[in-house]
Amino acid sequence: MKPAAPLWVLLPALVLLPVLALLPGISHGGGWELVGQFAAAALRPSLDPLVLGSVLGGLGVTAGIALLGWAGSLVLGLVLGIASSRVVWRSCCGSAAPAGWIRRLLALPRSIHELLWGLLLLQLVGLQPAVAVVAIAVPFGALVARVVSDLLDALPTANLEALRCGGAPAPAALLTALGPPLLPQVISYSGYRLECALRSATLLGVFGLGGLGTELRLTLQSLAFPELWSGLWLLLAVMLLLEALLGWLRRRWAMPARLGLRQRAVGRQGREMVGAGLVLLPLLGAVAWGLEVRPAALLQWQGLPPLGPADWGAVAALPWPMLIGNTLLLTLIAAALAVGLAPLLLLLVQPWPAGGWLVRGLWALGRLWPPPLTALLLLFVLQPGVLTGALALGFHNLGILGRLLLEAAETSGVGQQQALVAAGTGPRLALLYGRFSGLARPYLAYGAYRADVMLRETVVVGLVGATGLGSQLLESLSSFAWEQLLALVAVYALLTLAGEELSDWLRRRLLAPH
Amino acid sequence: MPSSPGPAQDLPLTSLLTLQDITVRGRCQPRLDGVSLRIAPGERVALLGPSGAGKSTLLAVANGLLEPDHGQVLWQGEPRARGARARRRQQARIGTLWQDLRLIEELTVQQNLNAARLAAWGWPRALLNLLLPLDTTACAAVLQRLDLDPALLNQPVSALSGGQRQRVALARLLRQEPLLLLADEPLASLDPRLATDLLNLLLELASPPRGLLLSLHRPDLLGGFDRVVGLRAGRLVFDQRSTSLHRAQLEGLYAGSEEP
Repeated sequence: MKPAAPLWVLLPALVLLPVLALLPGISHGGGWELVGQFAAAALRPSLDPLVLGSVLGGLGVTAGIALLGWAGSLVLGLVLGIASSRVVWRSCCGSAAPAGWIRRLLALPRSIHELLWGLLLLQLVGLQPAVAVVAIAVPFGALVARVVSDLLDALPTANLEALRCGGAPAPAALLTALGPPLLPQVISYSGYRLECALRSATLLGVFGLGGLGTELRLTLQSLAFPELWSGLWLLLAVMLLLEALLGWLRRRWAMPARLGLRQRAVGRQGREMVGAGLVLLPLLGAVAWGLEVRPAALLQWQGLPPLGPADWGAVAALPWPMLIGNTLLLTLIAAALAVGLAPLLLLLVQPWPAGGWLVRGLWALGRLWPPPLTALLLLFVLQPGVLTGALALGFHNLGILGRLLLEAAETSGVGQQQALVAAGTGPRLALLYGRFSGLARPYLAYGAYRADVMLRETVVVGLVGATGLGSQLLESLSSFAWEQLLALVAVYALLTLAGEELSDWLRRRLLAPH
Repeated sequence: MPSSPGPAQDLPLTSLLTLQDITVRGRCQPRLDGVSLRIAPGERVALLGPSGAGKSTLLAVANGLLEPDHGQVLWQGEPRARGARARRRQQARIGTLWQDLRLIEELTVQQNLNAARLAAWGWPRALLNLLLPLDTTACAAVLQRLDLDPALLNQPVSALSGGQRQRVALARLLRQEPLLLLADEPLASLDPRLATDLLNLLLELASPPRGLLLSLHRPDLLGGFDRVVGLRAGRLVFDQRSTSLHRAQLEGLYAGSEEP
């Protein structure tokens, strides 16, 4: 008895049963009034010019950090990506071995979440805007490098071989044969990274690294809900605007020209891209100047408090099995919630167009909202713990997965769904059978990748306490227990590397021809 | 007007499908322009016309996918039902054989056949169908009727050959048990032998109380049809018995286009 494809996408949602059964046990009910006030404030955000001014200022800093971090990660990622590509090494030096070494080296910066980078740098060089920029640029850069090298190595090499046989030197042949097919994929992916960078910059702010996030956390903790919503609505507007702009650019530049629409002028795309790059460069310079980002200041390490002798006994005494177990449990619950709820919600609201927009709105809020803020909000009514952290993390990733599912559903199984509806099938079953059948494998493959991201992200909900490695890490950080910190970061990195292997294996299995 | 479907042969005056003065607007010229058509139980009607004549639009109106801008569509004498449930019962009696078949590749043959029963099934059976083989006897029976081996039932659709897929799509239509059969150029991409086989099967299925409306490109295959309808630039050019069709009419229908 093997479940068929459409059921696979619904199976993760079964995690709802234990979660709903456990919720009454951890709720303390004291804060429902606060949650009510918070929800009511959504409709009447503060319009005080002073509040709006500070929110706009914070948003500017966050957007600036995101833009600079993103640009840095792209430069790093492209250079390192080419440097870790097998096909490049094989063409230039005849051996692909160095590519493998560089790849392995890059796994380390990638396995550590940007928040950890930020907090560690903060200890070393003190609070300055450059910290957040570097914290985003380093792990994102390593991630972009991996994607670029994977894309490069997956391209067909027949053209390259033909050019090489014709006597073209390796760099020119590589650029000519692999550049054009690589470009649209890189553009599409880097647009997506900019969205991620905006989310990360907000998140870093929540932990005090500057920008709107800091204000969001302060207003939430001082229960100033109308002021909190002024910031949230503004951030939502910016995020949706950015997503729409990137979607438009992606369709304009990265998609193959559709049949019959309009003839494209030769080179139009290239001219526009160069133009966009020329606009972007001075913009980046202006933002860096405006934010007073000083790369040189990163080299001036501040005097650390005198480090005591290492207490390795305390490190060994940490409850490792529980820390690791809770981290994994949190990841699994959050991943199952996010992966399972997105299709379930789509099914539930399928008959009503208004419901569809409601779900989209909910997902946009989930994407926008940094998980630690959700976690703090949940603490009004729930006790701290793994489940509370998982709900916060799951809600955020539900927003990301849901949007992806909707995008994929636009092109998959349209005819099958129509055929079912024409034969009298109800709207929900037609969606389940017609569309989800074809979507199941790619969607779950993306879910596996996302679960790996969530494992890394568990640190950001560490502040609700008792969530495993993340909580312990934040604790050790604030008590300057550097040997504990070292051990925790190492274990975290090992765990995420193992998770990455597992999720890669799952994705390969899901996407293999069946 | 009868409110319940009932066996259609008791009501010889109730046609399966009635199109009255149907107009569907298009970008430059109407895609359908004042088309009226009736299909009685047991009738097999062929729809001819050059590409772009509006055959697909006419079929989309006939299976309820497209609402006309003007005119009325009646299924067994009834207009489009108001309520969602009644509408689904109405749609369940209209069976369409799609040109691209629209089988669900990831599911088995049996699950695809049972998908035709989803209009009548509730959620529990619809979900069970994704777990267990349901209604094996009925599914095997429709396969056998189309000369397919019942051993195919647990094969994924993606593993079938082109001819087998055609027949499975037809078997799914049978399993739906519709009264009105619609087919949009089902023979277009088939080799001659497969095309004749499939056409004969479709004609055989369309016995009373069922009726068939089929669009095609091949004037040489009109033998089994009772009536032929000619469509050109969205307008009805002729609607007559297939035996009284003249070669000149066909040439007029396709004049100025490259097709036969």
